[in-house]
Amino acid sequence: MPDIRLSVNGEAIEESAEARLTLADLLRERLHLTATHLGCEQGVCGACTVLVDGVPVRSCIRFAAACDGQAVQSLEGLEHDPVMEALRAAFTRHHALQCGYCTPGMLIMARDVVLRLPDADPARIRLEMSGNLCRCTGYLGIIEAIHAVILARRG
Amino acid sequence: MSHKGIGASIPRKEDERFLKGRGEYVGDLFRPGLLEVAFVRSPHAHARILGITRPIKGIVYTAADLAAVPPIRAQINLPGYRATEQPILADRKVLFVGQSVAMCLAKSRALAEDLSEEVGVDYEELPPVLDVADALRPDAPRLHEDRPDNLLSVLNAEAPIDAIAAAAPVHVTRHYTNARQAMAPLEGRAILAEWNDRADQLVVHVGHQNPHVFRAALAIALNLEERRIRIIAPDIGGGFGYKAPAYPEEIAVCWAAMKLHRPVRWIEDRFEHLTAGASAREISGTVHAHADAEGRILALDVDFAVNIGAYSFWPHTGAFEAVQAIGIIPGPYRIRHYRARSKTVLTNKPPQTPYRAVARPAACFMMELTIDAVARAVGKEPHEVRALNLVSAAEMPYASITGKLYDSGDYPASLRSALSAIDLPAWRLKQAAPRADGRAIGVGIAMYTEHTGISTNTFGTMGIALMPGYEQANARLTPDGDIEVAMGVQNHGQGMETTMAQVASEVLGIDPGRVRLLHGDTGLTPYSTGTYASRAMVMNGGAVAAACERLAERMRPLAAHLMQCAAHEVGFSGGRATGPGGATVGFGEIGRLWYKTPNELPPGVDPAGLDVTAGYRPEDDRGAFSYSTHVAVVAVDRDFGSVEILDYVVADDCGTRVNPMIVDGQVLGGTAQGIGTALYEECLFDASGQPKSVTLADYILPGPTEIPAIRLLPTETPSPKTRFGIKGVGEGGAIAPAPALLNAINDALRADGVELGAAPATPDRILAAIEIARGARAGAAP
Repeated sequence: MPDIRLSVNGEAIEESAEARLTLADLLRERLHLTATHLGCEQGVCGACTVLVDGVPVRSCIRFAAACDGQAVQSLEGLEHDPVMEALRAAFTRHHALQCGYCTPGMLIMARDVVLRLPDADPARIRLEMSGNLCRCTGYLGIIEAIHAVILARRG
Repeated sequence: MSHKGIGASIPRKEDERFLKGRGEYVGDLFRPGLLEVAFVRSPHAHARILGITRPIKGIVYTAADLAAVPPIRAQINLPGYRATEQPILADRKVLFVGQSVAMCLAKSRALAEDLSEEVGVDYEELPPVLDVADALRPDAPRLHEDRPDNLLSVLNAEAPIDAIAAAAPVHVTRHYTNARQAMAPLEGRAILAEWNDRADQLVVHVGHQNPHVFRAALAIALNLEERRIRIIAPDIGGGFGYKAPAYPEEIAVCWAAMKLHRPVRWIEDRFEHLTAGASAREISGTVHAHADAEGRILALDVDFAVNIGAYSFWPHTGAFEAVQAIGIIPGPYRIRHYRARSKTVLTNKPPQTPYRAVARPAACFMMELTIDAVARAVGKEPHEVRALNLVSAAEMPYASITGKLYDSGDYPASLRSALSAIDLPAWRLKQAAPRADGRAIGVGIAMYTEHTGISTNTFGTMGIALMPGYEQANARLTPDGDIEVAMGVQNHGQGMETTMAQVASEVLGIDPGRVRLLHGDTGLTPYSTGTYASRAMVMNGGAVAAACERLAERMRPLAAHLMQCAAHEVGFSGGRATGPGGATVGFGEIGRLWYKTPNELPPGVDPAGLDVTAGYRPEDDRGAFSYSTHVAVVAVDRDFGSVEILDYVVADDCGTRVNPMIVDGQVLGGTAQGIGTALYEECLFDASGQPKSVTLADYILPGPTEIPAIRLLPTETPSPKTRFGIKGVGEGGAIAPAPALLNAINDALRADGVELGAAPATPDRILAAIEIARGARAGAAP
């Protein structure tokens, strides 16, 4: 008898879920969807950010049981998303990643910023991305990449 | 094909997998029957272990189980150094909060943590020693009871400077402290060990910067021949030095995998990292500078102490920080009379290990704040005093007072370039005008020269257990005409899958996209001491070039045969071999000839084939010196003690840049970490040695709103010593931000009488300094 039913990247999932199972551990350890990274498990660094019903959520501090009936999207499920495709190209062009560990969370958050704030300037982008930590890049490439995608969509 | 070799800012080959979330980190590996580890860690900074009670059920190991595993012991041939013995799991005593006492294994980390809570450890608490002064008191509790005191090492560079110092008209004395930091790569340490019977090997997937060196560590610890150990370092979520030493937890995991004949994995979590891994940069010191009335430094006298924590790490030892600091404190300046004394002190904190640039940030901090202090003493602009003391381009190569040979560069031009970009006169005007928000404006400078590509010569004089020698790379032509390069260094964010392919492209004229890099696997790559000390591009870049050149020599007669020309007429460009009269032949044809239709080979070919290993070390391997000028402009809020960076420029020179985009990324990222050092990052402990900054909400990493849009002003002065003129750049950016920002803050608060010498310059420290200065002024008033 499954404890929870949810959709993950469009696929219906039924899982047993002890109360302490986090959404991140459900994705990584049960479903082997390892694009979602764990950087702090304290809800600070943002590496584990996924979309729950379309909203960015830190999967390390969201219990799996709390996602019953919800739709979860991890980076794997956004591979063919047009905004994500544009962001990937911009991240490479602006050298917005080094070790790649924060990158999935950055991309999910960046996509949300692009869709939600079509007028954002670099200062606003910095503010919106302030919940995502990167230890490698110094952020400049990340901010420039997101801004470039926003400008391109503005036409 | 447009030029994609050395100097081209081509996009990174490794990006695609990361951008799709398909990187392969240790935590992403799963195995049937996998056991996960949780460690029982000491809650005390200093205590005797009286007894350990195991749970009735479950797999739990303690020091008694690991009796056959020797403690970690790192040797270095320095007078005044005595190695420590670090048990894999604590046996008689614990020496810092977070030290591992027992390991618990279960099917999941959560279950292993449950099990760890059932382990009972009886401790007899002992008084902790946490700072240098306490540890050096004659009656201080001793951490290691077989030692006469808490000194790990004493290292002095003595020189008769007293007469010169006494005769100097200007004397400046300052005390400096640099807080303990955590390196905080976003991925912690991670290891998965398993025994493979087919290979008769312990196969270890581990986030390690130096796989071959780690194999040597395991061979000692597990009493296992190196051929029976294979280390595979897959993708790594940041290193910065943290993943270079051999740690007890990793040895314990490997031991357990062998003992149980099952795959065993341990993934360090953030709490573990910020307690047991709080391990870098705690250095304090006093500098006496003796100068003439113009500000020329005539003699420099430094006395510093490294708070090394509880043990000396393997392989470079805890003495390494002092060795490096003593050698580089004089920096880019013409200092001819220099004395340095150092103590490296054992305390009840986690063992300190080298973090990006090792002791150079602290060395630069002491030197650069002192330059500003001298400038204040002689009434000049800090940049004027720097210009007066800098080694000039005409003096290159310059033998420093500490025996280093600065190979090339124009330090004064670097300073001029940065100053011109920042427009100092304009800021001086703004500084003088009152601001509506009441904040104080300041400009600060810091410069450094960085010893990169250090090799046998430098490490040889230190007598370290494992020193780098000739770096080797393997290059081969695949049967279908592409290139595979195997290298012993490990790529974890530096972009080496791209830059090393660019080196191959430079030599063989092949598109970097057709060059596949193998790295991070002792089973597939030549020996290397690994990726650390800004050495990989210098040393391994040279090795890849050498291997590709040797491969070209092997390909040449085959191409000549195919084109019916002489071997010396064969060149390589556009991904093809070229001959006279516009003839070309594809690499695929050469591969076909050698591998698939050897019946067509001409007589007299080299039977060694199209697979070569070649080595490289600069003929003069004393190192290539990168250098940089950082200038920061800040606004300091006197009421809140907060600092905003208004502008930040970096004039950086790391010789020939293989991929300028990637170099810029290294400089930006290093500078961001340095801004953390300057303003935010500090591992705090209470009086009993309990760590107080154990989440990323307490240990503040700079985020997107803390790091400004840093402006880069790169120049290229090729090193005359290295292949292609490359100098290392991985660490550099992290060196100068703390002194640049502290100098800027002190410049801003000069009228308040504030002169901070402690990093990070947190709001608390800034407000306290303002308060003390106010008190001093009030006290001085009649």
